Amino acid sequence: MAGARVEVVLGQRPGILKRLAAMAPVRVFAISGSESAEIETLIADLELEQEIVLTDSPRSANVLLAMGEFPGSMQESARRIHDQLCGPRRTLWLRQNVSAPSEAIFPKAIREDTHCDLALLLRKIHRDLLTGVEPSEEPILPDEEPALWRGVGPYGQGGTGMTGGVPYGRPMPETAPDRDGLALDQLSVRVGPFFRPFPSGLTLALKLQGDVIQEAAVAENPFDAKKLNPDFESGDPFIRALSEPVPVVEMEMARARHHLHWLCNALQVHGLGALGLRTRAIARSLSPGMIAPIAQLRKILRYSRSVSLVGAGVGVIQPDKIRDRGLGPVARAAGLREDLRMTDPAYQELGFEPVVHAENDVRSRLWQRLDEAMQSVTLAARSGNATSGGGGRVEGPRGVITLDGNSLPLLLGLLPDLLYGLEWGDAVATVVSLDLDLRDVRSQRVS
Amino acid sequence: MRVALFWMLAVASIVSGWRVFRTDSMVRAAYWLMASFVAVGIIMVQLDAEFLGLVLILMMAGEMTIMAVFMVMFMMNPAGLNPMMMVHQHRASIVAGVLAFVGLAGVGIFARFPEPTLRASGQVTAQLGHELLGDSMLIFETAGVALLATMIGALAIAGATGRFGSADEGSQEPGEA
Amino acid sequence: MISYGRLLGELATIALVLLAGVYATVVIDLWAGRMVARAPVRAFRALTFPIRQTALFLLQQRATTERPDAPLWALAPALLAAIAAASLLVIPFSSQTSAAGIESGIVYFGALMALVMIAVYLNGWSANSVFPIIGGYRFIAEALSYEMPLALVLIGAALPAQSLSVSAIVISQDSLWNVIRQPLGLPIYLIAGLGVAFWGPLALPDAADLAGGTESELSGVQLLLWRTARIAVLVAVAAMGAAVFLGGWTGPWLPGAVWMTLKTIALIFIMVGAGHLVARVRLERFVLVAWTVLIPLALLDVFAAGAVVLAGSPR
Repeated sequence: MAGARVEVVLGQRPGILKRLAAMAPVRVFAISGSESAEIETLIADLELEQEIVLTDSPRSANVLLAMGEFPGSMQESARRIHDQLCGPRRTLWLRQNVSAPSEAIFPKAIREDTHCDLALLLRKIHRDLLTGVEPSEEPILPDEEPALWRGVGPYGQGGTGMTGGVPYGRPMPETAPDRDGLALDQLSVRVGPFFRPFPSGLTLALKLQGDVIQEAAVAENPFDAKKLNPDFESGDPFIRALSEPVPVVEMEMARARHHLHWLCNALQVHGLGALGLRTRAIARSLSPGMIAPIAQLRKILRYSRSVSLVGAGVGVIQPDKIRDRGLGPVARAAGLREDLRMTDPAYQELGFEPVVHAENDVRSRLWQRLDEAMQSVTLAARSGNATSGGGGRVEGPRGVITLDGNSLPLLLGLLPDLLYGLEWGDAVATVVSLDLDLRDVRSQRVS
Repeated sequence: MRVALFWMLAVASIVSGWRVFRTDSMVRAAYWLMASFVAVGIIMVQLDAEFLGLVLILMMAGEMTIMAVFMVMFMMNPAGLNPMMMVHQHRASIVAGVLAFVGLAGVGIFARFPEPTLRASGQVTAQLGHELLGDSMLIFETAGVALLATMIGALAIAGATGRFGSADEGSQEPGEA
Repeated sequence: MISYGRLLGELATIALVLLAGVYATVVIDLWAGRMVARAPVRAFRALTFPIRQTALFLLQQRATTERPDAPLWALAPALLAAIAAASLLVIPFSSQTSAAGIESGIVYFGALMALVMIAVYLNGWSANSVFPIIGGYRFIAEALSYEMPLALVLIGAALPAQSLSVSAIVISQDSLWNVIRQPLGLPIYLIAGLGVAFWGPLALPDAADLAGGTESELSGVQLLLWRTARIAVLVAVAAMGAAVFLGGWTGPWLPGAVWMTLKTIALIFIMVGAGHLVARVRLERFVLVAWTVLIPLALLDVFAAGAVVLAGSPR
């Protein structure tokens, strides 16, 4: 309640509690729409700040950090997230071009472009909010019941009998048989598009019994609507390599950084936030040949048995579904020796041999990317002036990229079968292990 | 002080026992019953049956939770949060309940118990142990070990990596031949 | 007969000890996390972190969900905190302070740890939201699995003392600590203890893959209370472990209370460190391992302890 009443008469110093709270770490819930690599770097740097905390749930955050543009189907969810922040709350909306016209998703948001000093800005917003200089934002959406129920039914609770109607505004769930033939409750739930462990934009429509997934459907990709031609001007070396030769050192360092950033996210999901932070720091200061810190990280993960604790035997894909589809690390983690670099003369000269893991589960996908990162750093150090690319097909960090598309649709198509029958924790681990990026529709051409 | 505490706990146990039947949710009902058991457990601790009282609380915490979860699981009620009538056959159950209460209370008040052979001392637990593990030891141990083995076996079979390979293998959807 | 005046004094002491323990644990956790992350630690910031964080949570509004069970939701953190405080009643911090008239201290502790399950389940259930209730269900499966090993190793530790009183168990370790006498005891106890405080590798009910699980709908004071209570449980578990396995207040040169504090902090450090280095286990795997490995090992521990006692006792 206190937050709603923060008012400060000019000239009066805020109380000790408010001043202390203003000095507390900033609690931020970050959501991202379509975003560029620039914003991705910003958020990665943000995690390394000691006095900024990115929360798992919007409830306990004070600042909503919205990044990029939000396509139509994500706007409603974004507003919902905004209203779930408990006051005092404030929204910071980062956009690449802050003066470009946009829909008023967050009417009261502070708007900035991506060149701002994000950490400094967040701290200032937090301080002003907590000391009462700036007022808390009002909710955007009306506070409504999901269904009419008051006064309906014998007790006015909205239902008749045990299952009729919508008691207290929510329909009763249906029952369905479980694996052992018992008829149990089945709960229909939608998770996404801003569920933190998932890639932004991924929404799963689930039927759960307890936390076991009985049915999973992938909702339409919100970013699909604006299919773009490959943006050859972008900083992404893999996209550039589709049309022109790119130094091997640049591509391999980008690959290593990509895998390490992915590893950081995965470690955070698995409860290893501190090690994740260490990975993030390694990724930021990575240079060719800098293998020791990654090797040390690998050692810690091996001795603590963490990787097999979270992923042994989880999320196994049938090999024939991923063979010869250009799925990159996912395929190689299933023991398939598939890599475009094997046939690339530049890489053949470097003596390239693909790293392969056999178990085809979440565990081997973790090891796979960690080992590939180490391999890339080594390759980058040895590659000299070698260049590669220009042939229209590139082995990207998520698999083969061509002028016509990438591995994303195929991986999304695997999800329903893959998630069926998994416990929720394993399902999340599996989704994370596939390294999806729903925004990665740049190279999918409208045909 | 002690007497006042006893009466407070006694009233608490009966009131929470009554609330079990007046609440409209399975989870609340289960935990009202738990509250009643906790009050009884503390009374037992007060009566120097420390071990029995504490074990009562220990066991009931697990049992009430399991009961609540199973009820929620089988009743068509989202997590037991929607309201529902928790009793049926009202008349008969009221009569049965009142009769049982009066009968047991009557036994407690009017029956002539043997003179206390135990002194109120710290030896109660030890004596209980001698009783349980003396003459009746074989029965208790056999039953205990058999139950534990059964539970471990059930878990080993139910685990996804079961005793004979993956639990999903060979299992059929109900209704399929 | 319990002296109620003394009991009140002891309750106040316990509240202070617990708060100090929670404060220390938060700082240790922060420090250990920065060490593992290879990030610089600013001592002043780390030491003042709990105060600043508390102030922020005090100013945050409470979250509301659609038709929660408000009384039970408010009760859950209080229940968890009460469990932690009540369990400290039987933990002797020096040879002078003894338990509040409870002889079966070990059983009392076990009963309270069983109630943790109810507090966590209620916190998840009463929010009327998807992730919290899944967290609640998860914890029940977890709690039913760690409870048996926990109870068994505590019984094993009680056997040499031939008493269920914690003070008697401490005294029985005068010559040799239980951690050496029963090598299986402390490791199993610590694993179960991580489960009781749902910490680190066993933080299943409030995991990141549930967006915070039972605490995903909490904010402000409620979140502050819940987290404080949870850390208090961790402190209580560590203190009990220090008393039962590490010889409690016994030790040369220093006063008993100091030894007890040092040993408690050592155990807190081990558990917190495990939280930063070992990933969260899968629930299914933990349940299976608890029942098929930990329980048999704990039984072995009890049998071995019993055999030693019988061999040593005069016929």
